Amino acid sequence: MNRRFVATSVIAITIAFASTAVPQQLSKPAKWTKTYVIEWNEPAMYYGAKTGVIDPGTDCPKGTNPEIDWIQVLVDAGYTLEEAKWLRNPANPTRSPVHGQNQMAFRGKDRANVYVNPTSTPDTGLVGVSGTTGEGVNLDGDEKTGFTSPTGEKGIDNNFYKCLGCWKTYRGPRRLSSGALQFNDSMRNGAWTTVIVVSGEGVDPMNDNHVKIGFYVSNDKMVKDGNGNIATDYTFRIAPHAKYEGILAARTSNGRVISTAPGDITLRDPGYTRDLELLRARVDLQMKPDGSLTGYVGGYRPWEPVYKGWVNARGPVIESLTWVQLPAVYYALRRSADYSPTGANGEKTHISFALRIDALPAFVVTPDASKEVASVETYKASAPKETTRGAAGSFYVIDGIVPDRTGKFQAGPNAVILPPSTSSTDKRQ
Amino acid sequence: MSAASSAQTSKPAPGASTQITETTPIKVAVRRITESQYRHTIADLFGSQIKINARFEPEKREERLLAIGSSELSLTSSGFEQYFALASSISDQVLGEKQRAASVPCKPDDPNQANDACARQFIETHGERLFRRPLTETETLTRIKTASAGAKQSGDFYAGLKLALTSLLVAPEFLFRVETAEPDPANRWQYRLDGYTKASRVSFLLWDSAPDQELLAAARSGDIHTAAGLKQQLTRLTSSPRFEQGVRAFFTDMFQLDGFENLVKDPAIYPKFNQSVSDSAKEQILKTAIDLLVNQKRDYRDLFTSNETFLNRPLASVYKVPFTSSAEWTRYTFPQSSERSGILTQIAFLSLFSHPGTSSPTKRGIKLYEIFTCEMTPDPPPDVDFSKVQDSSKGTVRGRLLDHMKNTGCAGCHRRTDPPGLALEHFDGLGQLRTMENGARIDVTAELNGVKIDGAQGLGKFLHDDPRVCACLARNVYTYGVGRKTDAKDEDYLAGQIKAFANSGYRLPDLMVQIASSPQFFKVEIPGGVQRASTPRTPAR
Amino acid sequence: MSSSFNRRTFLRGMLSGTAVCVGLPVLDRFLNGNGSAFADGSKLPVRFGTYFWGLGLTDTPTGGTRWVPSKTGPGYEIMPELESLKAVKDKVSVFSGFRAIGDGRPNLVHWSGHASILSGIAPAASGRFDGPSFDTRIADAIGTSTRFKVLDVDASMSRQPISYSTRTGGAFATPETTPLALYTRLFGAGFQDPNSDDWKPDPSIMLRQSVLSAVKEQRQALMSGAGKADQIKLDQYFTSLRDMENQLAVQLQKPDKCDSCVVPTAPKETPRSASVDVVRANTRMMARLLAMGLACNQTRVFNFVHTGGTSETYLAGQNKIYHQITHDEPTDAKLGYQPETSKLAGLVMEALGDFLIELEAIKEGEGTVLDNSLIMAFSDTGYAKIHSIENIPMFLAGRAGGRHKAGQHIATKGESVTRVSLTAMQLVGAPVGEFGSGTMKTARPLTEVIA
Repeated sequence: MNRRFVATSVIAITIAFASTAVPQQLSKPAKWTKTYVIEWNEPAMYYGAKTGVIDPGTDCPKGTNPEIDWIQVLVDAGYTLEEAKWLRNPANPTRSPVHGQNQMAFRGKDRANVYVNPTSTPDTGLVGVSGTTGEGVNLDGDEKTGFTSPTGEKGIDNNFYKCLGCWKTYRGPRRLSSGALQFNDSMRNGAWTTVIVVSGEGVDPMNDNHVKIGFYVSNDKMVKDGNGNIATDYTFRIAPHAKYEGILAARTSNGRVISTAPGDITLRDPGYTRDLELLRARVDLQMKPDGSLTGYVGGYRPWEPVYKGWVNARGPVIESLTWVQLPAVYYALRRSADYSPTGANGEKTHISFALRIDALPAFVVTPDASKEVASVETYKASAPKETTRGAAGSFYVIDGIVPDRTGKFQAGPNAVILPPSTSSTDKRQ
Repeated sequence: MSAASSAQTSKPAPGASTQITETTPIKVAVRRITESQYRHTIADLFGSQIKINARFEPEKREERLLAIGSSELSLTSSGFEQYFALASSISDQVLGEKQRAASVPCKPDDPNQANDACARQFIETHGERLFRRPLTETETLTRIKTASAGAKQSGDFYAGLKLALTSLLVAPEFLFRVETAEPDPANRWQYRLDGYTKASRVSFLLWDSAPDQELLAAARSGDIHTAAGLKQQLTRLTSSPRFEQGVRAFFTDMFQLDGFENLVKDPAIYPKFNQSVSDSAKEQILKTAIDLLVNQKRDYRDLFTSNETFLNRPLASVYKVPFTSSAEWTRYTFPQSSERSGILTQIAFLSLFSHPGTSSPTKRGIKLYEIFTCEMTPDPPPDVDFSKVQDSSKGTVRGRLLDHMKNTGCAGCHRRTDPPGLALEHFDGLGQLRTMENGARIDVTAELNGVKIDGAQGLGKFLHDDPRVCACLARNVYTYGVGRKTDAKDEDYLAGQIKAFANSGYRLPDLMVQIASSPQFFKVEIPGGVQRASTPRTPAR
Repeated sequence: MSSSFNRRTFLRGMLSGTAVCVGLPVLDRFLNGNGSAFADGSKLPVRFGTYFWGLGLTDTPTGGTRWVPSKTGPGYEIMPELESLKAVKDKVSVFSGFRAIGDGRPNLVHWSGHASILSGIAPAASGRFDGPSFDTRIADAIGTSTRFKVLDVDASMSRQPISYSTRTGGAFATPETTPLALYTRLFGAGFQDPNSDDWKPDPSIMLRQSVLSAVKEQRQALMSGAGKADQIKLDQYFTSLRDMENQLAVQLQKPDKCDSCVVPTAPKETPRSASVDVVRANTRMMARLLAMGLACNQTRVFNFVHTGGTSETYLAGQNKIYHQITHDEPTDAKLGYQPETSKLAGLVMEALGDFLIELEAIKEGEGTVLDNSLIMAFSDTGYAKIHSIENIPMFLAGRAGGRHKAGQHIATKGESVTRVSLTAMQLVGAPVGEFGSGTMKTARPLTEVIA
């Protein structure tokens, strides 16, 4: 299907200058505009096996990182074998049946909480990717650093993939990793919407040296069609947002949209971290004949919020369900971080990352819904002040665990592990 | 022109005795009220917060209208069960603790005991509105007895009222419109419809609901039998915002929008179709008709050519246009280039009359004639061979149908039904615009009665100019209002009405008032087999 | 019928020695030709129940399915996870491809799926429904002539009693959670033994009868002055009214002595454990009690929970609960599904098989209690690994007195679960024309399974 060009008319708008490295906003409408809605987004984690979802492959020769022997972990942390077995036995009260065995948090030195104090326990060494193929964008301009893309392009910077790519929640073929399924399911059921506007000044959208691409959020929900896919051609109003907006300069060549200059943007993250802040971000997207848009947006994201996001999603649950020790994730991210915003000698607070995106044709209109957007511009100035609110469906999490406010036995550094009597207690009130 | 002089025809059924005396009223028709009439009546009396969830008995389309079919229907056992349960449910809500202050016009001294006086008030007040006429003393007394027994049994006055109300709600006098004729005081040997019957006809035509207090008062006083009194009520009803409800019901019937209840599309071919799109399409065509014909009071024929309509977000995605509004619905004018003009190019008509996975020019043509020109098409012959037309890879839809027209067995009908459908072939089975088929641009030219038409706009103009279209509307308003088919004797009358319609600029509200104020609207036709217990008198000629 | 031998007389040994009781004794010779109604036309009462189990069945995005038959329509093949239904296959219809649709509301895991099935609305918060569960509507429609309008049972041995039956969405029913508690409720104080001598008629039925007689009194006045065609119409109305009166009259009859209603002995207390085998045994015991309760006409509507949405059941000796296994276990590359999860799903379904067999074991008329019942069995999720609310497994078991054309596999691609709910409601005669809200609103039952 062909995307229509937007008919242009003169609109005078005053635009506030956003703090990105984008050239001065033009107040007149662009010559052409193409608009999309993101129907799938996931971290770009190249899957190196030919079959399955966790099979051994060139990326992870031993397959996805295996399940942890939690009894051993607890013993190594100083619990007795009897205590460890008792804590991992599902027949016993687990502090919170839904939120997992809280006592797992307290396995650091002196029973410190390892979720908030990851360095209180040694680094067990999260096994990362050992292959040479990776997906994403060349962020530092250096062909010698990074992966080779599946199509042979060198210099793909994606250390996030490198250190976390064998972790069960991230690993898998396109659209099949458990993490991607969970978050995209949520997005597609209406949790959030991200739209993309691409505009340019040339005659041919497929080949234009003066292109801008904008990422915005909308409060309008996507609609599923009769086959469960996202329906095309729905209209989305841009919702001005103080944080989630990204505008980058680019050019197109045979429909491939490539950044001409990096920029700092923030997107809505398809994950527990919520904010995907990308410094020196770049895009590499392809406008397809069927009207869709697919590819990558990459940049350096702060790594510690990633770790904290997992912790706040209930540490014991994440560790048990995704087969990982969260402190190891902390250590892995810390050692793989490859960018410091303050300069080469600064602390490397950011790590190279890429988001894989699939987007469908959609109408995008101005925040007041009065007309289709005619160019890529910023709406941050008119954004409402951000109110702090919990993530949708968030739990009452303190220090990585959900305290059992009614329970007789509380987890903690001084908790009594084995109950006084060894017979099965009455679990029903 | 006095409304009291209604024509009387006596049609004895073959073999049955027709014994008419002077005084006893005759029931000229018994018509089951429709689901929407039921709902509107309950909402009028007790408020729209009363929840009505029941399986209503299916309706029947006769002579293109459900309104005519309703005269043929009764209640099955399972239908009765549904209405009985629904009546109990409504009564529970109406007499529930929160609602009863509003529904019961009096308060009993002791709420744990029966109270005949208050029960009577309740029964008479609501009974009159439900039966659409005052209750007879017998009818009232039976319900008082029920209320009293119920109150004594359960120790709760309101429990007794619940039973009384239930018995009113399941009564045939509520569920059926019992149209009654009485001896005409101005004309000894003739009958006229009684005032309450006239009130009901007017109310159901214009508001799709039971007569309100004022209309009942006009019946009670006899004003409704006078030309001025009737005109006053007609003007009141058509000026009211509730007129829209009546016009909606009329067009829902005429445009056969009940088809949306079971509309299915193949999701592989039309993935955008869903319940929301279905509901929205129905709403779109009704909103368009109301806006054009009631609010703007425009020429009825503009429906076929006007680009002005309403859209919501799901519809916008099917029409592939941006939805530039924050409200749920917004006005929208299709540009000339979109090929959309008139209601024939709206999703409703296009999707209702096609197949789950493809368009159907033949179906669209058949329905176009049926709905807009009042012309029925005979069924295909029983021995037709469909195998030739199943394989859709053979050329275009147009090509295959043109083959029909070469075949003498098929040509008779297809020569007439297919051309309008072919003119609409730029719209697929869901109503989406598609101009190419198998790599070639779809040819939407057609020839109708020697007139060449080009595409949907051409078809709209053709209907706009065709005199059958307005004649059909007039006929539909009349038959919808009186609830029976027309026959040869009605043709002169209809011709007159059509002329008057033209003179009014083809305005629908004027047409309805005109027809409802004509004597023919209240014509008495004595049904066959009417029997009387009393001694027969010589029937009048 | 001769006066010495009316419908109420019971003959021993009529049906191969098995007695029959349906509130009133049902003698074959006084049934109609095919044992599906009384000779005077009133039908055997149909029972309705919901049966819930947690964690779905195996059907994966990569294409492996262990429960969706490839054949649609009648005569579907028994898939591995449906083995337990083999014995009653012809009385069970399978519904695949139905999903809960959130209209923007988040998928509250282990909640939104069955909340949507039962209330027709995707709930805004976990632990609540945003509307009543539809079993209450059925109970209102068909449950008012028995001692209990509805019975709620929870066999799951969970930490908290589980019920998904609600009128308000905030408060759920209190279920019986042990065999002894269920026994006490059914056959303890308040139980009117049909084999005893002090029975009394239900006054509310007599009040409903008075409503109908008030209407009937107008018949003469209505008919007079009407034409032939209209009289026929009105006649049909009054015939339908009489049918309703008949129903009420039947309910006012004293239940006669009846051997098939055998008051069981009180069960012993069982040790509490959530392992799969114990929960299965518990389910079977409670199913047997419930089936006898139905046969003795104590209720016509029930809700049965086998395991809750976040089922904590586990295989004895293993340290991982079923719920965790659904998330953990990788998909086997060759098989295309999670083998351990599938095995557990099959074990959970064994309990449903047991349940239905208990109903099948009690004879009634020419059939069994199962023939005169309709059970909607369903779960909270489709592919549990990702909490998917697509393709939630749903079954309708029992012939609903002949109205259910059972033994079919109805497959769709993403239609709303409310269609199955609506079908169930209509199969047992509840006065419901449409169900659900938003995109899940539907007025279209699955007519393929409606006789």
